Order: sequence, then C-alpha cells, then structure tokens
Amino acid sequence: MSSVPTVPPLVDEIAAPAAKSRGFWAEAWLRFRRRKLAMTALLFVGFLAMVGIFAPAIVGTKPLVCKYKGKIYFPALGYFVSDWENAYLRTQVRLIYPLNLHAKDPDSWAIYPLVYQDPFRRVKDNEWGTRPGNPSGAEGSPDRQNFFGTTDSGFDVFAIMVHATRTAMLVGFVSMGIAGFIGIVLGSLAGYFRGPVDSVISRIIEVVLCIPTLVLILALVSVLERPTIWHTMAIIGCTRWTSIARLARAEFLKLRESEFVMSARALGVRSGRIIFRHVLPNALAPILVPITFGIADAILIESALSYLGFGPPPPNPSWGDLLSQGRANMQMWWLILFPGLAIFLTVLAYNLIGEGLQEATDPRLREAAK
Amino acid sequence: MWNYLVRRLLLGVLTLWLVTFLVYGLIRSMPGDPTLVRMERMAPGKTIRSEDLAQMRKIYGLDKPWPVAYWAWLSNVVRFNLGNSFSRYQPVTEVISERIAPTLLLSGTSLLLGYLLAVPMGLYATARGGRLDERTLSISLYMLYSLPAFVAALFLQMIFAVKLQGTGFELPLDGMTSRGFANLSTLGKAWDLFRHALLPTLCLTYGTLAYDTRFIQANMQEVLRQDYIRTARAKGVSRFNVIVHHAFRNTLIPFVTMLGLELPFVLSGAIILEQIFTWPGMGRLFFEAISEYDYPTIMGLMLLFSILTLLGQLLADILYAVVDPRVTYS
Repeated sequence: MSSVPTVPPLVDEIAAPAAKSRGFWAEAWLRFRRRKLAMTALLFVGFLAMVGIFAPAIVGTKPLVCKYKGKIYFPALGYFVSDWENAYLRTQVRLIYPLNLHAKDPDSWAIYPLVYQDPFRRVKDNEWGTRPGNPSGAEGSPDRQNFFGTTDSGFDVFAIMVHATRTAMLVGFVSMGIAGFIGIVLGSLAGYFRGPVDSVISRIIEVVLCIPTLVLILALVSVLERPTIWHTMAIIGCTRWTSIARLARAEFLKLRESEFVMSARALGVRSGRIIFRHVLPNALAPILVPITFGIADAILIESALSYLGFGPPPPNPSWGDLLSQGRANMQMWWLILFPGLAIFLTVLAYNLIGEGLQEATDPRLREAAK
Repeated sequence: MWNYLVRRLLLGVLTLWLVTFLVYGLIRSMPGDPTLVRMERMAPGKTIRSEDLAQMRKIYGLDKPWPVAYWAWLSNVVRFNLGNSFSRYQPVTEVISERIAPTLLLSGTSLLLGYLLAVPMGLYATARGGRLDERTLSISLYMLYSLPAFVAALFLQMIFAVKLQGTGFELPLDGMTSRGFANLSTLGKAWDLFRHALLPTLCLTYGTLAYDTRFIQANMQEVLRQDYIRTARAKGVSRFNVIVHHAFRNTLIPFVTMLGLELPFVLSGAIILEQIFTWPGMGRLFFEAISEYDYPTIMGLMLLFSILTLLGQLLADILYAVVDPRVTYS
C-alpha cells in the first residue's frame, strides 16, 4: 500500500466557491452573439420595431403635442387608433393643423413630426410654410420633398412605408403569437397524452396541412365581409401552426419518457403542471425556430394578400398594397422598388435570426460547428 | 407493407372527407350570392323576379342548408361527378382539365429545372466548402431564398416589360400567348410561348432551387463527417468519387422524401405567380372561382389539391422505404 495515488481531498473542491455554470439560454445567447449576420439581423428587426412604434413621430401631419385654447392635446396618437385623436380638436382644425391651429388660436403651439407628410391623404400647396403640394401620377418620382416619391393619387410613399412598418411588425408578432399558442397547446397535448388525444390532434393537423396554405387563407379571407388587419392576422395565425404543433409533439414524445418527468409524476404533480412547468421550458428552444421562420412567412403572406387585393380595405398602409399600386402603374418604379426591398430585407432578417437561433440552440449543430 | 398502405389510404379518405366538409361549410358562408352574380351576367340591369331566383337557387342546390347540400355534392363526387360550374356553363372537370396543361407547363419545367440545377450546385458547394466561390454562391442563394417570388416577379416585369420596352430583350408583361398566336407557325408558337413562360418560370424556380441546393449541401455536410467517408478517403478514393458515389448516394434518402412532399406544389405552387402573370392555370382559376362564387369549381380544386397533398405524403413514405432498406412498414 505504498503507492497510494495522491488524490486531492474532496472536501476542498466542495468548499471552493463553485462558479455557477451558465444556463441553457445564456449559453445560447452567447453562441448567437458570435454570429455576426444573425446579430445584424436582430438589430435590423429592432430598428424596424422602433420605426413601427414611433412612426407618428417620424412622419405625419398631426402634431405630437399641441396647445390649443389653453389645453394640451396629443393628436399624433390618432395614427394608432383614430379615436385617440381628440374629436373636438379634429372638427376645429379639419385635418390641416399648421394652418388652422394658428388661425383659430394665435397663442397655440405645436410640435410636429420630423417629416411633414401623411400616409392617408395628399399634402396640398402651402400647407407647410410655402412648400408646394405633392405631385401625383408619373411626376411623383423621389426627390427632396418626397423621399420615396408619391403614389398615383399623390400620397407620400415614405410616409406610407414608415406607417406600414407597424403593420408588418404587428402581423408578424400577433399572427405567430396565435399560431404559437395553438401549436404549442395542441402539440404538447398530443405528445404528452398520446393515444386517442394524439390521433384526434394528428387528424386536425393533417386536415390543415392538406390544403395549400394560400388557398386556405384566400378561402377564409373571402368569407369575411369587411376584413380588417386583425382578421388577416387571426387567419394567418389559425393556419400556420401545424409545423409548430408537430415539433412540439415530437419534443413532448421524447421528453415525457425522461427521468425528470417520471419523478415529477411519481411525486404526484398534476399533468397540467408537468406539461407547462417541467416539459415545456425544455421543449421551447426547438419550437422557437419555426416560430421565427413563421414570422417571416406571416409578413410575406400579409403583403401577398394585400398585393392581390385580398388584404384589409384602405386606409391601411401596407407594403403589399403599395406593390399592387406599382403593378397598376409600372412606370412608377419607386412604387415597386422601395416596398419590395422592405419586404425582402425583413423576410431575410427573420430568416437569418431563425437560422442563428437554430444553430445556437440545437446541440446536434453545435457539435458540428466544433 | 400492404397493411400499412391500406391503413394510410383509409386515413387519407377520412382526412379528405373532413377537409371537403369543412371547406364546403366555409364557402357556403361566403358573403354574396352566386345566383345574383349569374343573373346579373345573363341579363344585366334587369330586376330579378323572386320566383326566378328561387328556382335558380333550387337548381344549384342553394335552397338547402349546407350540410344537406354537402351530402348531395359528396354523393355525386363518389360517382366521379364534380357538378357543373355556376359561372361557366361547363362541367367542373372540363373547366379544371383545361387549366391543368398551362400550370403543368410552368411548374413541371420549374421543378425539373430546379432539380437538374440543384444537385450539381449542391455538390459543387459541398466540394468547395469555405472558399470564396462557395461563400458567394451560398450567400446569393440565401438572399434569393428570402426574396419573395411576387416581389421578384414585379422587379422582373418592371425591367423586362417596361424599361426594356422596344429593345431586343423585351419580354411580354403577362399572359401565355400573344394576340396573333393562332396564325403563327409551329416554331413561332413555341418561341412565343417560351417568351411568355420565361419570367414566370424563372420566378417559380429560383426559390426552390435555392432551398434544394441548401438542403443538399446541409445533408452532404452531415454525411461527410461519417467514418466511412474517412475510410474511403484513406484508402485513396478520389475526391470526386467520394462526393458523388459514397456521400451523395447516402443523402438521397431525405432528398427523395422531399420529392414526394413537393408533389402538391406541381399544381398549387404558382397561385400568386399565375395571378401576377395572368397565366391561365389552376391558381388563376381558383381566384376567378372565388370572385365568381363558383362553389363547384372551388370544391373541385380543393379536392384536387388535397388529394395531391395526401398522395405526395404517401409517396414520400413509400419512396423512403424503397431507398432505405432499413425502413420497413410492418
């Protein structure tokens, strides 16, 4: 017993302050950050979200803040919901704030958005200082006054594009929120309970998968008498959940056999709690990937619908709607180039984020990258 | 195997039944009345007598509630009768079969072209992995993959039909044939058709091409890490042979599965593009049928699309077993 290997005493290791190992998401975030393209895409989407939220502050004809006859108003909020623009003030100024506000109350003041243009109407002569009104038709090519040109009826394309960013962002998040919810709930129920529940849910998935998405969406949209953008979002959400459900189902089928689920069950934890507290967080990473790709898809579908004339009726600023105006006036290239680029870049950004997410969270790909 | 097939087919029939039932209910609740549309077309500007309207509704089976009307439709369908189109005075089968050829011309060419180009491009990208030309190829394919087809279609139309108007590169804006098509010689007809089909085919192809190439490349990269590839290299097999014979053959399994899943795309993939290029195919027919409230045609198209999707899935599973001897369905 002379050659006893020198084993360091165990106690020391335990006593040493163990560095807390990074969690799964922190690890994934680190890996995601290393991908320059994915990070650029994420920043771009952040930028778009900012543009969407602050659209009325960037371009509009309604003041952000104004004081009229001793009261403070925020007319620009009317771009979000038309009722948020004070009705009394609206009848007083009749749309054209810079002229009428001052004429009716010389003591009034107002802070205007960065660019004085409107997505819903044509800016006329001398409305803003001595600036001439917007040109219309083929004369409305991009210049210093209308950065991206004007539409056939003289609306400013830049204003429409900025306000349409909000539509695009909303469509992506809301419709995929709905799709994610339906997909995760149905998929996890099918995967966790198996048996008859699984057969029923799998049939539902198959039925939805059976019809080409666009055909189904067109049929659904044509059922609506007066579709709004919210209807479009709901329809996209209710038809694009199948891939999410299938992935969730596969993950749950795999995870329900693992030890931690078994021990939770042995402890008498209820099924609902096991599904949502124990299994779902572990299954979330692979499900997030199709959701991200789904956002790109949803934006694409919405603009395609608007383009085909199946979108919500005007006034609703949409990139796809601009494209359809461009289709009718092919000479006005700016009606095609700018919204086309916007759709392309947004879809590209979401695809890049989705791929980055996939490589950051998928252990199989992580091995491959080494 | 047979057991499996029969089970799958029965499930498929069940799915079809569910799909048609739901879609029938859906289109019957569309706002608007097909009889009014048709009356307006037959005698524009005339006031319609309510008896006439009632009779017409009866002929079309619109007087019954939709679940009842659905059974009537279904019992006709199992006897291979899809009914008559409301707006075209023709049986639905005729209306649809007229439109199949133009769609096949587009999507068949596009699929074929896609596969013929995707395989060599995918292999090339794998072989040149990490070098400048591969990076350029991959990045441009990725960009193409994210470029929506209808946006590309508009860009191309703008360039070739408007900007290049009057030059030798001018291409027709839309349609499938020129006006004087019937008087052209055979060669002239082919040339005319080619010129019209060029832009739609291009728009339809590049997306799948990009997707398939990336798919092949990703699968190849996975296979190339396997031990038997290293063995093949070690015993001195040439690079070309390793890639084509040892690696590519083994990526065929997912590739073949994808073939089956792309089958429905053959008839329904070009819906938007057909509308943009006013190409007289199935997708455009669907748009027309919706705007004309032509219920029988909508149902016929839906049925066709669904059958094709189910067949494609079945085909994918069968091919899977054919290509991979490890897979059995027993």
